[in-house]
Amino acid sequence: MSAAAPDGQWPRWEVFKQDAAGKPHQAVGSVHATDPEHALLMARSVFARRPAAVSLWVAPAGAVVAVTAEQLAAGDVPGGAPAGDGTGAAEARYLVFRKSSHRRAMTFVDHVGEVTAASAAAALAAARAAFPEPPALAWWLVPAASVTASPDAEAEAWFAPARGKTYKQQSEYAQLPQRRRKARTP
Amino acid sequence: MALDRDVADEPARLEDFEARIARGEKIEPGDWMPADYRRQLVRMISQHAHSEVVGMLPEGAWITRAPSLRRKLVLLAKVQDEGGHGQYLYHAAETLGVTREELLEALLQGRAKYSSVFNYPTLSWADVGMIGWLVDGAAIRNQLMLAQCSYGPYSRAMVRICAEETFHHEQGKQMIVAYASGTASQRAMAQDALERWWWPSLMMLGPHDSDSPNTPQLARWGIKTKTNDQVRQEFVDEHVPELQQAGLSIPDPELRFDAESGHWTHGPIDWDEFWRVVKGNGPLNAERLAARRKAHHDGRWVREAMAAYAAGPRGVG
Amino acid sequence: MSLDPRLRAALLDRLTAMADDELILGHRDSEWTGHAPILEEDIALANIAQDEIGHALLWLEARRQLDGSDPDVLAYSRPAGAWRNARLLELPRGDWAFTMLRQYLFDVYEAELLTRLKRSSHVPLAEGATKAALEEVFHLRHSSLWLRRLALGTDESRRRLEAALARAWPYLPQLWQPLAGDAELAGAGIVPDLAEVGDAAGGRIATALKELDLQTPDTPPNPGGRERHTEELVTLLIDMQSVTRADPAAESW
Repeated sequence: MSAAAPDGQWPRWEVFKQDAAGKPHQAVGSVHATDPEHALLMARSVFARRPAAVSLWVAPAGAVVAVTAEQLAAGDVPGGAPAGDGTGAAEARYLVFRKSSHRRAMTFVDHVGEVTAASAAAALAAARAAFPEPPALAWWLVPAASVTASPDAEAEAWFAPARGKTYKQQSEYAQLPQRRRKARTP
Repeated sequence: MALDRDVADEPARLEDFEARIARGEKIEPGDWMPADYRRQLVRMISQHAHSEVVGMLPEGAWITRAPSLRRKLVLLAKVQDEGGHGQYLYHAAETLGVTREELLEALLQGRAKYSSVFNYPTLSWADVGMIGWLVDGAAIRNQLMLAQCSYGPYSRAMVRICAEETFHHEQGKQMIVAYASGTASQRAMAQDALERWWWPSLMMLGPHDSDSPNTPQLARWGIKTKTNDQVRQEFVDEHVPELQQAGLSIPDPELRFDAESGHWTHGPIDWDEFWRVVKGNGPLNAERLAARRKAHHDGRWVREAMAAYAAGPRGVG
Repeated sequence: MSLDPRLRAALLDRLTAMADDELILGHRDSEWTGHAPILEEDIALANIAQDEIGHALLWLEARRQLDGSDPDVLAYSRPAGAWRNARLLELPRGDWAFTMLRQYLFDVYEAELLTRLKRSSHVPLAEGATKAALEEVFHLRHSSLWLRRLALGTDESRRRLEAALARAWPYLPQLWQPLAGDAELAGAGIVPDLAEVGDAAGGRIATALKELDLQTPDTPPNPGGRERHTEELVTLLIDMQSVTRADPAAESW
């Protein structure tokens, strides 16, 4: 990212939020920022201004290898380039995320684990072998080295204050009429 | 992203695509989609995103004048949410191969549309409540429908927005109901706000179905599952009784309840006004864009500084 | 919680000063909503503004417990001369550099004040300080990031930051200038020694500026206690109190 880039062309960072300990990090959207630290602060402002969150991860959007079930079926898969994490290592750790339901939700793929591989293509193959069930609708592979996490030591400072802001929480306001309840995710 | 795959809209692929939607599957970035599906979505999502960020302005002006500390917090949070909703929607648009910067450029140059309702001025504190009640009320109706959209990123953005929007609507209603039974001044302020926001809110739900050529195809592709008039009728049926119960008088002499259909029928909408405003000649179109341009222009040195830092910090300290 | 009348009066002054600082700063921050340089920062600053107003409410509620005063009455009916915020906070928001720099200076002072206030012998103060200090962690991270980015970004950002520093510097010491009753409150373990807070905050700020090769301006402190204000506060309050003043009979909003 150089200073000569057109005004406003900040890179995108995919954001993953963990709602509570023991739950997976989930893809919630992205933020525009120029570096990982700034991306984390922005992610917290955009995605954790209401409860619940205990951890955030950010990764440059360009580092994410994304593939849908349809693409896999059509053979449209990432090529076998060497591990793209920039460390020059022969193999790299990839975090694996997948989506397995068409159900309406506000998050996309969920973190299920990790694999080690020498390329994005190898990582995808390893992920499909390691996490076969239930059938995946979409996969994201993210080089672990490209991920920056919110500081665990400051989790309370980052995420607890949102709980106290009841003036902007649904629960504070009148009971919702029955017809609107249908909009909630099942 | 395989953008060139959907240049040739093969009939078989289209059939498969429509079958997926009929089965209730979500289309995700990377999946095959007709060029027109992509185009329509970019248009709809970006217009929606622009509406949210422009929408920060009419209410944002009153944050500094909020008449209680709680109202100040609530309005700050609401306008912040509007920014947040724009943010989620720009993200959804970006999954379709456009950049947020391109979309903003189009908005600032006056080439992009956004909801015409935000081209009206907020003239009193009660306007803030009325916008929450009516404008957000209309928006919620649309959003509930769009949450079922076939395109994954748009659906997800809408589900997140729906979860946050209810508070907007409820706080607006609470404000107006309180003022409608408050001091003479507060009652007059609430009534005046209704008179100025009622028709713009009805128009916000879009032109009549007969003037809405995109709707049938959007319905087939699971993007829009209700017509403008259907949603408008739902909006009217919900809000008329509540406004009347609050002691307010709706500025429509032809408004009446049709016992047979169980619906409220309303008078004619001034579509000349609607098209004037949509095409840029509304009360505040110029001011809204000028404000967004100024913010963008004034922020240029900030964005450049951040980009320069990221490119390699100056070697001091 | 029965305090002797002099301590009670001193504590009321101290709580009012702290509340006014937060409310005026939160108000200035809120002016950016819809106008920030980038969407994500618009959202971030709106959160910071909400936090500050929330802190003001903490201190005003603590004051209500002592003298029954209504926070909204205090916010919406006092003229400029009755406010007790530090003048740094009522200055107009200026450009992004000024807003971020002012936020940074206040965040450092607050961090030093609140960390000591957590040990206050007055329970509502200790509890409020614990809550506010938690939110301040993020504020300081955010404003520190901006201080660094602006200092080391472009020539223009550095120039603007230096101008912001020159503007803010004379107003900085007033933040920790003790009120008349603070010495007695300190003696009773209710507040820390403000001079010590000032030394700690001043030291941290000086170190940060030095690290970024920013010159500490050579200007003397802007004189006068917290009962003195600039004309900026008048304009601010005219706007802030306009709706309530137009309908004095209204009991609730």
